[in-house]
Amino acid sequence: MAETNLEAAAPEQKKPFFTARRKAKIVDFLMVVPALILLAVFTYYPICKLFQISLTDWNLLNDTWNFVGIKNWNWLFAGSGAKYMWNSIKVTILYTLGELAITMVGGMLFALLFNRMTRMFSAMRAIIFVPKYVAMSSAAMVFLVILNGNYGIFNYLLGLIGIQGVDWLNTKSTALFAVLMCTGWRVVGYGMMIYLSAMMGISKDYYEAASLDGATGRQQFFKITLPMLSPTTLFLLVTTFLSAMKVFQSVDVLTSGGPSRSTEVFVYLIYRYAMEDFRMDRAATCAVMFFLLLLIITVSTMKVSNNSVNYDA
Amino acid sequence: MSKKPTAGAKIGEKSHAWYYIQPVLAVLVTIVMIFPLYWMIATSLKSAEEVQLIVPTLYPHSIHLENYISVLTRANFLKYYWNTIVMTVGILVLQVGTGTLAAYGFSFGEFRGREVLFYVVLGALMIPLQVTFIPIYIMCANWNLNDTFLGLILPEAVSAYYIFMMRNTFLSIDRSYIDAGRIDGLGRLGTIIHVLVPMSKASIFTVTLVTFSNGWNAYFWPKIIARNEVRRVLTVGLAQLKQTFAGQAVANYHEIMAGAVLAIMPLVILFIVFQKYMMTGYSKAAMK
Repeated sequence: MAETNLEAAAPEQKKPFFTARRKAKIVDFLMVVPALILLAVFTYYPICKLFQISLTDWNLLNDTWNFVGIKNWNWLFAGSGAKYMWNSIKVTILYTLGELAITMVGGMLFALLFNRMTRMFSAMRAIIFVPKYVAMSSAAMVFLVILNGNYGIFNYLLGLIGIQGVDWLNTKSTALFAVLMCTGWRVVGYGMMIYLSAMMGISKDYYEAASLDGATGRQQFFKITLPMLSPTTLFLLVTTFLSAMKVFQSVDVLTSGGPSRSTEVFVYLIYRYAMEDFRMDRAATCAVMFFLLLLIITVSTMKVSNNSVNYDA
Repeated sequence: MSKKPTAGAKIGEKSHAWYYIQPVLAVLVTIVMIFPLYWMIATSLKSAEEVQLIVPTLYPHSIHLENYISVLTRANFLKYYWNTIVMTVGILVLQVGTGTLAAYGFSFGEFRGREVLFYVVLGALMIPLQVTFIPIYIMCANWNLNDTFLGLILPEAVSAYYIFMMRNTFLSIDRSYIDAGRIDGLGRLGTIIHVLVPMSKASIFTVTLVTFSNGWNAYFWPKIIARNEVRRVLTVGLAQLKQTFAGQAVANYHEIMAGAVLAIMPLVILFIVFQKYMMTGYSKAAMK
């Protein structure tokens, strides 16, 4: 505020346009400008541009492009693009439901299993959590090795208990499940930590009162713990949903969308049109579709939850 | 131990059987969870023949450190390391810089339209790079940013998440500290450096660690903008190993695993050192 003080110390000027107050406001505003410019250039401008590209016939292999109206949208919903689009939506939603189940149900079960405050349990919690920091591509690579159909240890162990394993990542019906195994390994510890720290925030008084009234452990869990955790559950639901819908890396490394598009999630579909076919028009159309999908589901989740979740914390 | 534990009897009073079953179960689950990491390291030390045994060996029967040398030299991992470090540090510095300034502006600044502009920032959370990458890629290509550090860093230079988290942190600080700083003649930057940062050290550190790990593990954008060897990052280079070695008759899993270990080492070491911060980081986010 050095400049402002100078200004204040020189009152002989007659009412300058930049009064100290106004100047302070401008400097305050300038602090958010770098961030806003970057957001404008790298988020808001591109999203507008995306809508525009979806109305053109832009193919990176050609030098020129023209506006073609809703031709791409026609292609996406009524033309040859529809089949793959719906397939990708199905795959993405299946994947997202899987990751949500692992993070929330798995995270909750892990939180209940690892809730003792001893040194050994704290070390185990760290081990459960560390995969979160293992790069997805490293994680995917090791699952590639573990799940290998010929000499992967997973099938070997299954064989020991008399189950004939399949080539998990190259079989249409199991590929998505295999991808989820890999993601699940990375995210379950995260769900656990979020739930654990929220559980520790619940006052012990509730449980004491419930015990005095003769409530069983099961009743306490369903009548106290779960309801008290509803803001946490909502947080996990929204953030996991948003990140799971954007899944790309694990699919790219583990299956490249295959076999026969059984793991082709939406981002992978967009990526394939843009970076492999160079059809920017089609890719942009899919991207807009994806954006609208994200928007609708997120906004409706928020709407529904605003009425049912208590944000006291 | 014959009695079954009541489901959900973990909090309140503990059933007797559960008291003994819980640690056993917990240890078993932990073993399963650590197995992929163990397997990564074990495989990285095996020989090509040992990797392909039909009956896998649980530990390497002979140690082959040369797998690491092979990855570092043949697959250019040293270069990937350098690229990843520059990219991550660049993203970190810019996100922390722009984010901290903006967080200050949105928490203690006074200007017209503050709330509206903050919603603009929050709205960006709804528009991921996975949606907008096509126009950004074309833009970067026009600016000749393909295969450059700028191209890797710029689109990630601001993080709405970081601004949101830091704003929350700053808002939890009482305004009187800011006013006291002003009376002592501190400017805005002085206030941030001498008042806000010291008072929210732990949060800043955690959010910064999360930012660092996101940068280090980034894959989608680097894969698009840095398609060539010169600026390839670790995550992409590692995934590429699959193809690099695929021409050979056998899959070189031992070398790929050596690459995987090299790629995760810095973050896992960071995690071990700063475990406390890195584990609470995300839960802090949830509480806000």
